[in-house]
Amino acid sequence: MEFEPVWGVPIAMYLFLAGLGGGAFITSAFSQWMYPESATVRKIGRLIAPVAVAVGLVLLMFDAKAGFMNPLRFALLLHNPFSVMTWGVVFLAVFEVIALVSAIFEIRNKTVPRWLNRTGVAFGFAVAAYTGVLLGVVKTFPLWNNSLLPVLFVVSALSTGAASVMLGSLFVCRSEFERMWNLKKVHFFLPVIELALICALLFITGYVSVPAHDTVASLLSGRYALAFWLGLITVGLVVPTCIEAYPIYVTKRIETGSTSKWLSIGGECGVLIGGFLLRLLIILAALPVTIVS
Amino acid sequence: MARYGMLIDTQKCIGCYTCVTACQRQNSLPATVQLIRFEERERGTYPNANYEMVPLQCMHCDDAPCQAVCPTGATYTNSDGVVAIDQGRCIGCKYCMAACPYQVRVCNEETGVVDKCRFCTVSANDGTVMCSCVEACLTGARMFGDLDDPESDISKAIVERGAKPIAGDLTEAKIFYVR
Repeated sequence: MEFEPVWGVPIAMYLFLAGLGGGAFITSAFSQWMYPESATVRKIGRLIAPVAVAVGLVLLMFDAKAGFMNPLRFALLLHNPFSVMTWGVVFLAVFEVIALVSAIFEIRNKTVPRWLNRTGVAFGFAVAAYTGVLLGVVKTFPLWNNSLLPVLFVVSALSTGAASVMLGSLFVCRSEFERMWNLKKVHFFLPVIELALICALLFITGYVSVPAHDTVASLLSGRYALAFWLGLITVGLVVPTCIEAYPIYVTKRIETGSTSKWLSIGGECGVLIGGFLLRLLIILAALPVTIVS
Repeated sequence: MARYGMLIDTQKCIGCYTCVTACQRQNSLPATVQLIRFEERERGTYPNANYEMVPLQCMHCDDAPCQAVCPTGATYTNSDGVVAIDQGRCIGCKYCMAACPYQVRVCNEETGVVDKCRFCTVSANDGTVMCSCVEACLTGARMFGDLDDPESDISKAIVERGAKPIAGDLTEAKIFYVR
């Protein structure tokens, strides 16, 4: 009997958007700290954060059909303090409120108070990390049941969050954005770290058990190989890294041409596609432990 | 208070799926919701090879992983050790389905609620007419009873026939297999 994954595209999209929202807020907080004059870039992140998380939450509620049809049941979500999902609900709720309040501050051209900014960053990290812990505590799937996943999801969240802010900035306020050299450098390193973490995750998982080995094999050379190599590794990580590396390490100057603009746009889109595929592949490819041997 | 459990003898199981349909009838389930699933295994090497059908259903684990992750408290363990679902609390997040290593929880697509084996034989104690997997099994491969009572038929059978949980100490399962 072939195993059918418990979750699918909507949950992968939710995990992606929750991470992206947290990452976008953290990108804005980073901008406020490093480049207080870059107001437009910062605003873009502040607006993306609550919208991304809200869309993700709608997907989540839509996927939980019994709750969607009986919405009052969602009030029970805080019942079990030992469930990671309960903590996720707390993190998401607090983060969404902070993100919305911060967005209102920005829209009114007022500075987000420092304490709110810092609390938002903390909860942004919590939202991004919890999505990894949510899967990490599940003993059924060796690909999930490890401590590396929350770290990988946090790095991917920062990367996709920054990519969404940079993508918006490329269209709206390119000259302001191109001067944010440190943001670009950080954004360059994130996919590199992500690549290393994916290598470690697959190496370690591959040695755990037979189903764990089969899971890794399905990603590297089986039914998910095309999405893994072409989608996640090439489009999602390697190509954006090369595009980012060019101005930082080769030309070492601020690019203004339209070719570089469209290349950057392509790179950011690649990061977003990669971020989604990372979650989707981890959800779909995971095979359960052996029960009958 | 009892601690109910089940014994399944795969040497007697012929894979006829009568238990599945009996369960569906007893619990008024739609055809798509099967609370018992089967894994098939070829064992040994020719000429000493055989074919084994292993019926799997909720193991009513003492340390139920599904209950640990359920955010709403819809999954709970009652005083008889039966892991149960309060359908009115379930939001259908499917976290329990992922957490159950035996993969024996199913989502009812009509209601969105997650379901699983209810140990419905327990209700027979109150004199309810039942049509459970135990009674329906054509070959008598299944037994049900109180694991805490050393004089119960199931307790004696587990000892005599060396029955063990299907996956060792993966969880503290209350279904024992003779293989």
